[in-house]
Amino acid sequence: MRRMNPSHISFVLVLTYLFLPVAATLIYSLATEWNKTVLPEGLTLKWFAELFRDFPFLQALGRSFLLSGLTTVAALIVMVPAIFVIVVYAPRLERWVQTLVMMTYAVPGVIMAVGLLRTYSGTGIPMILVTAGAYVVGLLPFIYQGTRNSLRTIHAASLMEAAELLGASRGRAFVKIIVPNIMPGILVAGLLSFSILFGEFVLVNMLVGGRFETLQIYLYAKLSKSGHIASAITVTYFLFMAIISGLAVKFSRGNKATRKEAAS
Amino acid sequence: MSYVQINHLSKKFGQQTVLQQLDLTLEKGQLITLLGPSGCGKSTLLRIISGLSAPDSGTIRIDGKDITTTRPKDREIGMVFQSYALFPNLTVAENISFGLEMKKMPMAQIRRSVQETIELVGLQGKEKAFPHELSGGQQQRVALARSLVTRPKVLLLDEPLSALDAQIRKTLQKQLRSIQRELSMTTVLVTHDQEEAMAVSDRICIMDAGRIVQQGTPHEIYTRPRCEFVARFIGSYNVLTAEELLRLAPEFSCSSAKLYAIRPETLRDQEMEDGIAVTGTVDNVTMLGNITRYEISAVGVRLFADYLHHSWEPQDIGRKKTIYLDPKDVIPLDDASA
Repeated sequence: MRRMNPSHISFVLVLTYLFLPVAATLIYSLATEWNKTVLPEGLTLKWFAELFRDFPFLQALGRSFLLSGLTTVAALIVMVPAIFVIVVYAPRLERWVQTLVMMTYAVPGVIMAVGLLRTYSGTGIPMILVTAGAYVVGLLPFIYQGTRNSLRTIHAASLMEAAELLGASRGRAFVKIIVPNIMPGILVAGLLSFSILFGEFVLVNMLVGGRFETLQIYLYAKLSKSGHIASAITVTYFLFMAIISGLAVKFSRGNKATRKEAAS
Repeated sequence: MSYVQINHLSKKFGQQTVLQQLDLTLEKGQLITLLGPSGCGKSTLLRIISGLSAPDSGTIRIDGKDITTTRPKDREIGMVFQSYALFPNLTVAENISFGLEMKKMPMAQIRRSVQETIELVGLQGKEKAFPHELSGGQQQRVALARSLVTRPKVLLLDEPLSALDAQIRKTLQKQLRSIQRELSMTTVLVTHDQEEAMAVSDRICIMDAGRIVQQGTPHEIYTRPRCEFVARFIGSYNVLTAEELLRLAPEFSCSSAKLYAIRPETLRDQEMEDGIAVTGTVDNVTMLGNITRYEISAVGVRLFADYLHHSWEPQDIGRKKTIYLDPKDVIPLDDASA
């Protein structure tokens, strides 16, 4: 039998450290009772059944989908053409965009929430719109990096020049040539953005709270009521994120294939 | 009036002057080559003709029409880029038909034109392939077909063969020239490869520091360089000062020129009528395929002499050798910097 070397042991330890809380949450979501024994007293799916029968949960799930999905789509529609114009026609502006990208990391969520409340409360603008607007700005780093890298990979400036010389307008060349070639990058950026917004709690809780209960706010409320239900929500959320991550990996492989094509 | 007229074209990038009051004319159906070292402004000139860059001053007229400020898409100019810039998401046929679709031509006509052009460049059977499935030579032919299919008024080729290996490059040079002649396509080729320029051009323009320093047929350019830059760039000319030439051949009667050029292949190794004998030491012998190049030092002057390759290996290094110079082969250079 092959002996495990130190690198294998450290790998197993890291995996255990990472997956133990997830495994414990999964088991707790399936346990009938798990208070006084080492292992659960029995296994059941009743917490999941209860969760999916709970209409407010489904509503919260729908709201999270709606808020994250629409915000991501809006951010992509606004930012991808803007990043394209900057990268291809005004590369000197890139350093300013990079500064903006850094600024979104520099402002902590709580401070941003307080600032937004002070600025927009009482203006008549619905706070859910303010939240969505803040989300759009917050997505800039993820969409910028993904889109810029894709544009550079396909040598977007050369493709645009070739298309223009063949009689295409800039808009037509962008839609017919650039967008299809950077689509894997856009999809990866979109999925990443969606998953980040789906798990966001601080802003939405402070700006709209119970008036627009998302999955994270629902989970927060359930934490004090039932550990089993909260675990079932966490497991559902984890599975959902795993599916999104899987899709992102699939599309990023597509992106790598495009890179190989562009390089050949 | 010439088909393409470029007058007093100037372009600066920041403080750097890339094109200086450049004038160039081109007749319909001619293939002209812009030849020069990197950074001499040849690609910038091509981009200005295409409309991808704007000149600071000067005008460009094609077929009598001033297109200096016309948008690239409306200039009716085709261009093959050094990187080909094929659209990765489109097949060969779709890449070629792109320009015709932009012109909103009927589908039946597009199909016919695409098929004809594919046959012209010899890409039959590759219609449904994507660019990454093709070799470099095939990609180059797709790029050429894509530019030709719209029948542009002028075709611009920006070092289209530089990324290919020597064998394919030679084959494609011939194919390019034959297609250009068949379509009588007015063409501007940019290259830094003098052999390529010689092989395909009707006229060559030698560029240096944003100016055309000499233009003429390949024969004129090769046999009658006007200045030191052209003599050194176009071949391995021996460029000598008047003083060096008189040291080598005291009986030579110099003109007022300060610099002289001698082609290496005109220095014979057999005695000839009116030939001036020069004896020196062979410092090095280099095999250049069908040519053997001798480096000879004589009275402190280094000369290159080329001879057709013999079947035996030359064993002349370190030996004395006498070569013969025909005074008619000494070309005076009118070089301002001399």
